[in-house]
Amino acid sequence: MHKNGNNPYEPMPMRIARAYYESNDRSLKTFELVFEREADCKRFFEAYNPGQFCQLSIFGKGEAPFGIASAAWEGEFVRFTVQKMGTFTQAIHRMKAGDPIGMRGPLGNGFPLDEWGGKNLVVIGGGCAFSTLYALTKHIQHPSNRATYNELCVIYGARNSGLCMYKSDIQSWYGREDLQIHQAVDVPEEGWLHHVGYVPDVVKEVAPSPENAVAVVCGPPIMTKFTLPVLTDLGFAPETIFTSLEKRMKCGVGKCGRCNIGPEYICKDGPVFSQAELQALPADI
Amino acid sequence: MKQVQIEKNALPELIQRWAQSAQVVAPVKKESYTAFEVITSPEEIELERAHNTRYPLKALFLPQSEVLFRYHNGEYLPAEAQDSTRVIFGARPCDARALTLLDTVFEEEGSHDPYWKTRRAAASVVGIGCDQPCESCFCTTVGSGPFDRSGLDVLVTPVDGKYALEAVTEKGQTLLANLPELSASEQKQVEEIQQRAASQMKAAFDPAGVRDKLYAIFESEYWKQVQQSCLGCGVCTFLCPTCFCFDIVDETQRGERVRNWDTCMFSVYSLEASGHNPRPSRLERTRQRLMHKYAYWLDHIDQIGCTGCGRCVRYCPVGLDIREMIRRAQAWEEA
Repeated sequence: MHKNGNNPYEPMPMRIARAYYESNDRSLKTFELVFEREADCKRFFEAYNPGQFCQLSIFGKGEAPFGIASAAWEGEFVRFTVQKMGTFTQAIHRMKAGDPIGMRGPLGNGFPLDEWGGKNLVVIGGGCAFSTLYALTKHIQHPSNRATYNELCVIYGARNSGLCMYKSDIQSWYGREDLQIHQAVDVPEEGWLHHVGYVPDVVKEVAPSPENAVAVVCGPPIMTKFTLPVLTDLGFAPETIFTSLEKRMKCGVGKCGRCNIGPEYICKDGPVFSQAELQALPADI
Repeated sequence: MKQVQIEKNALPELIQRWAQSAQVVAPVKKESYTAFEVITSPEEIELERAHNTRYPLKALFLPQSEVLFRYHNGEYLPAEAQDSTRVIFGARPCDARALTLLDTVFEEEGSHDPYWKTRRAAASVVGIGCDQPCESCFCTTVGSGPFDRSGLDVLVTPVDGKYALEAVTEKGQTLLANLPELSASEQKQVEEIQQRAASQMKAAFDPAGVRDKLYAIFESEYWKQVQQSCLGCGVCTFLCPTCFCFDIVDETQRGERVRNWDTCMFSVYSLEASGHNPRPSRLERTRQRLMHKYAYWLDHIDQIGCTGCGRCVRYCPVGLDIREMIRRAQAWEEA
């Protein structure tokens, strides 16, 4: 009935090109998906903006939303890091390279990169919510994008070093001159050379300047809750603090109704909001 | 637009004419209620009951359960197009108006729902105005009326032994081709009937300021009080002509991805995989339902997301009345 492209519920056929565990405890697994149809690939990368998400789809298991963890320039694949939580994520964790999978997206607004040109960026992430921030950082790192932005400071915390994602790549960021990286684990660990403590405390310690800067915060709700006041104390205005929200989403295109906060749908109007926008919404998070 | 007329006993003939080129869907009598069904003969139509059908008109465009697509051996198989031409006869104006509200969701600029759109394009809606509104009706309070034309292709007004039929759209004009026109005096009579019906309806509350008041009391004790007797059964949302929430699930044995009506009144509706639930109790869920209709819809399209059909009032098993809830909200003052 519907040609592909005008039915928002039809998943694009994809194939898992790579699948590997991201954490020592095997709770996080990363998947790199490639397109089965050239037209889908073209359309995806024409639309994709870091901060967006996709609905991954397994026939017989349903769908679930995941943030995109790759930048467009990395290649014609789409990366996701999935934490094993419920029935869908258990099913996807059993999948391996070569397996077919469905995908709908990119969905949502993504980060307002056009507004961030010429600014210092402070990227603050915690746990597996760092995935879209990883995409953002990768996007900015590309030589043709890098000059658009000023200084880049990345603060990334995990509960322990075993849960740190994208390890070898992030390790290589320490030698780079185009960004500052601060990694943290919650409690002291033998051999850990970086920060120790919760993300809000690390932000306090690093104390990024609010001068001509924007801050992006993605993490578990408790981390976000305690990081926002730290940024406010440092002098960041609500219009310069951004966060990405998650809610249970089904359609991903603003039809099924369940992901609203006040009049805003997380899937369609978000998932990225400024703190100023969130302050104007009722407390329904 | 053009007004025509038929004798009441000529209705079957007109319906048969429509049935030559379309499925005719109309209210038929069930045990203790009426329901929209495809009719095979005009005698099946049940118009005498003043009450609306139990299921709202939306069910004909957003079915309670609908196959989005099928899958077999990992292959995507499109669902059959639901594009049969339909004439829906006997819709009430509140239900038809609700379709225009839902159009703003399902036919949103740049984001169409193909299932909804296909059904809408293939249907004509012939509505019957309500010359005897029910006790639970409050369409005039929420910006509609017993002869509201929005969402209708034809509006029918019962006049003595006749039906006056007004074509509201081009689709409607096609349905009414070659029927005798209404005289000027009869037309005046029709207008009087329409005005009288509207004037008979008392205002249930003053809609001005409802949105702002609900926002103002978002964190108040009001919600705790107003939700006390609610069972969380969700009937108010399932039978609501403007509620559109759905869930998407895979029917594994049939190999189908299906969407089913869902309701914000259930806790699993918003429960996340992490265990977090942004609306953990009936308080938040009742608040969501009321605020969606009387605040968020206004934010989106500046119209109340309720057409005053009164189903939630009639079918609530514990007698919760949305009109009373709004009145209480308006009268609420922080202690």
